[in-house]
Parts: sequence; C-alpha cells; structure tokens
Amino acid sequence: MTAPLLICEGLSRSFGGVKAVAGVSLSLTAGMVTALVGPNGAGKTTCFNLITGNLRADAGKAMLRGQSIMGLKPHQVARQGVARSFQDLRLFTHMSVRDNVLAATETSAWFWQPGGAAARRAREAATEEALARTGLTALAEARAMDLAYAERKFLSMARILAARADIWLLDEPASGLDLSSRRRFGELLKEARRQGVAICLIEHNLDVVTELADRIAFLDQGKVLAEGEPEAILRDPKLAAIYFGDREDAA
Amino acid sequence: MTAYLTNLASLGAIFCILAATLNVAVGYAGIFSVAHAVFFGLGAYAGAQVSLLLVPDALLAMLAAALVSGVLSLCLALPALRVRGEYFVAASLGLQMMAVTLFSEAKTVTGGIGGLTGIPGPRLFGVEVSTLPVALGALAVILLATALLMRSSFGRTLQAIRDAESAAEALGKNVAAAKALAVAFACAGAGVAGALFAMHMQFVNVESFTLDQSVLIMAMVIIGGTGTLWGPLVGAVILLSLPAGLAFLPFIPSTEVGAVQQVIYGLAMTLLMIFRPAGLVGDLSRGKSHA
Repeated sequence: MTAPLLICEGLSRSFGGVKAVAGVSLSLTAGMVTALVGPNGAGKTTCFNLITGNLRADAGKAMLRGQSIMGLKPHQVARQGVARSFQDLRLFTHMSVRDNVLAATETSAWFWQPGGAAARRAREAATEEALARTGLTALAEARAMDLAYAERKFLSMARILAARADIWLLDEPASGLDLSSRRRFGELLKEARRQGVAICLIEHNLDVVTELADRIAFLDQGKVLAEGEPEAILRDPKLAAIYFGDREDAA
Repeated sequence: MTAYLTNLASLGAIFCILAATLNVAVGYAGIFSVAHAVFFGLGAYAGAQVSLLLVPDALLAMLAAALVSGVLSLCLALPALRVRGEYFVAASLGLQMMAVTLFSEAKTVTGGIGGLTGIPGPRLFGVEVSTLPVALGALAVILLATALLMRSSFGRTLQAIRDAESAAEALGKNVAAAKALAVAFACAGAGVAGALFAMHMQFVNVESFTLDQSVLIMAMVIIGGTGTLWGPLVGAVILLSLPAGLAFLPFIPSTEVGAVQQVIYGLAMTLLMIFRPAGLVGDLSRGKSHA
C-alpha cells in the first residue's frame, strides 16, 4: 500500500470553551478520495483550516511527506502542494476567468515570476488546460462575478487544477450543482484520482460521497467517530442518527 | 494668467501623481490608507534637503525622495499590514496624526511649523527648468510603470488579494510581501510628488501634509474611479479645478469660496456613491449591491 502523503495526528483546537476539533487523526493517500462527513459544526472545515495553517492547532501534528507543516503560514503550506477550495468559493470576482486561473499558477510575490519565458509558457499552458478540463475556455474573458453558480464552482476547481497541487482539500465542492454539473464534477475528481491526487472532500450530499469516496471519516463534535469504507459507515444506524440530528436514537 | 495656469497645471500634475500612486494601494491592492500625505511630506522634506544641502537637481531630489518615502513606508507598513480592512485604516490614521506632530517637532529636518524656505527651483543637469514638464514626465513614467505592473503577475496578485485575500494565500501568494511592495511603490511615488512640490513651491511646511490632504487625495481616487489607470487623474483634475473655478464665479463672495467648495465636495461624494460607486471612470457594476 502507498504511504500517505499527509498524516494528521491528534489535531485539536478550541475556541473559548468549545472544542471545535478534539484529537482528530487522519491520513490522505495519493489516488484516494477521503470524505469528511458529519453534521454541521462537527469540525470539518476547522480541520481544513488547521492543516492549511489558517488556524494554529492547540495540540497535535500534521506531517506532509514526512515533514511537519505545523506553524507554516497558509501560503507556505500551499507551496508545498496543498490546494484548498472554500465553501463560499472566494473567487477573484473582478478578474477575468483566465486571470483567476493564471493567478493560481503564479506564487512569487515579487514584481516578476522566476523561470523566464519557458516558465511563463508552462503557466499559460497549465491555465488553458485547467480551463479546458473544467469547460470554461469559452468563458475565459468573462469576469468571475458574471458567471452562473455552477460555472463559479468549476472556476474554483480550475484554480486548484492549475495550481498543480497533489493534495486537494475541497469544502462542499458539489453543493448546489445540478445533476449534469455534478456528473462533470465527478469526472473531474475521478480523473484527478487516476493521476494520483490525494483528495479530501467535505460533502453533505451522500450520493456524491457514495459515488466518489474511497474512505469516509465521520466527525461529530470535533472527534472522528468512525472511519472506513463508505458502505459500512453510511449503513451504521448510530451514525445516521447523529448525522440527521437524532442524538437520542444514537445513544 | 499664463503663470497662473502653469502653476495650476504643475500642481495638477503633482496631485495626479499622488492620486495615481494611492490608487495602486487602494484600487488594485485594496489597502485603504489615509496616510498618503505623510509620504508626500517625507518626500517633500527629503527633496528639499537634497536641493538645499547638496545640489538642486530635480532627478536627484526625486530619487532621494522616492527612496526615503519608499523605505520608510516599508518600516511602517510591515507591522501595520498584519491587520486587515478597517483596522488598517485606523492604523494609517494613527500614523498620519503622529507624523504631523513629528513634522512639527523635528525642526532640524523639517523646519518645524515655519517649514523650509528658499528651496531652489527644479534644475536638470544644471539648467533651470519649469516644474510642469518635469512633473508631467514623472507622471508619465509612474503611469507607464503602473500599467505594466498591473498587467503583470504582480498586478494579478494584488487584485487577487483585493478580491479574496484568504483564497490568494491558499494559492501560495505571500500576501504580506505583496502588500508591502504595493505600499512601497505607492509611497515612493508620493515621495516623488513631494520633491516636485517642494521645488515648485520653494517652500514647504507641515500644513501641506495633514489629514485633510490625505483625505483630499483619497477623494480624488474615489471620485475618479479606484482600480482604473485614468480615474484618479480625472478625480485630481476635478478636485483641483473646483476651487479655481469657483473663484471665478462672480455671485460667490471670495470669503465664501471655501465653504461652498466643502458643500460641493460633500454633495459630489454622496451623489457619486449612490449613482456611480466605482467613480466617474470606474466600472459601473463595481461597488453596487447585488442583493
């Protein structure tokens, strides 16, 4: 079995007296889709924020290819190959679709990018490829703010594709998509999985989870209650009761 | 009359530089600073001292002013840029208040409240020149640099930070470094304007570098259109021409021009924010509520 790319052990974070994440351990492996499932407030997005350096962990560690990424800033984690999407997308709304994607390929904050003309051509090629794979080529000159909802979702994915990261953390990427868009999204994820990307997605749509996930980690109140194959997790009546808010049945 | 118009045009070009450079911070990077006059002042004092103590050369004065304002802006911006949005506005306001006191008290460098007098006029390679062509040349260089930068990856980074800072970070962009560079570029430009102002007026004192001046420059950017190349220039020309134009209206007594001007500023800003929130040159769809 391939060694995991990312290993989190005992990640914890409290806000005041509330334990948002309490000792979460998780591993992400190349070519596997792991779904984080759980009711609202379970700590799923907080886990992403702890991995990406948007929040500091109170305890625990996160190792990327054997190296600790604890204490790194978000841009440093991203440069190590961890890309993430946001529930509210956070597109660069006043920029064109193409510039949104091209910006994802440019990480230097200086007045220029390293690598000269060859590197520039490679970034432009990565941009065009990401636009083509997400079906946005025809809309490349449109502003992000003028796109329809599904197209915005795909633009968020195009940025991740162009960033050439090998770990994707996707926060509700399929929410609000119609059936046909969801299928396109599914194909995109399956293709990335075939290419060896380690994907972790937070998703409330259990059809999407069943179709795409290789493993599920079920979170509740900041803890991983169960982890395993999708069928086993989704059939567990206790977990179903927690997911649908019936804690008395779960007890 | 020609001298009057030349003077107005020279000041217009200087304020166009101020508005264009503030626009790099406000319009492209989303950094709302109300301390641009501080760096205008630093540049003015630096340029004046170079002309008074070393050699009255416009290029040297502008270079020294750009360096002093740009470098000092980095020292001040790096800690302040750790805060976002309205907190940065408050931090820059604090800086503006502090700088006015410093300018008034650091008499050996600034001449205190009385200011620096007898500053030589602009000279290029030993030849006395008018401020206007030098200021227009500096403005052209700054506009060209701005246009090139904003079309480059650096411009995309700034606009990405302006639109969604956390998403820009998540794509590997060092937000603090990019913001600091944007602030340094904008403040170095303000320094250039300061040096030109000192050589043009041949006198500078703290009165020109107060919060009122910073607000006026911000108003030029907002009225003209943030995030556009030409908008701040339009704003600068309108706001500078306004007092001059009002002075020629016979039915307004000269003692009331200041008050009428304030009313017109206020009214113009309010109407603009309602009907053209992105400014006169700005994109109509920007700034309006989509709810």
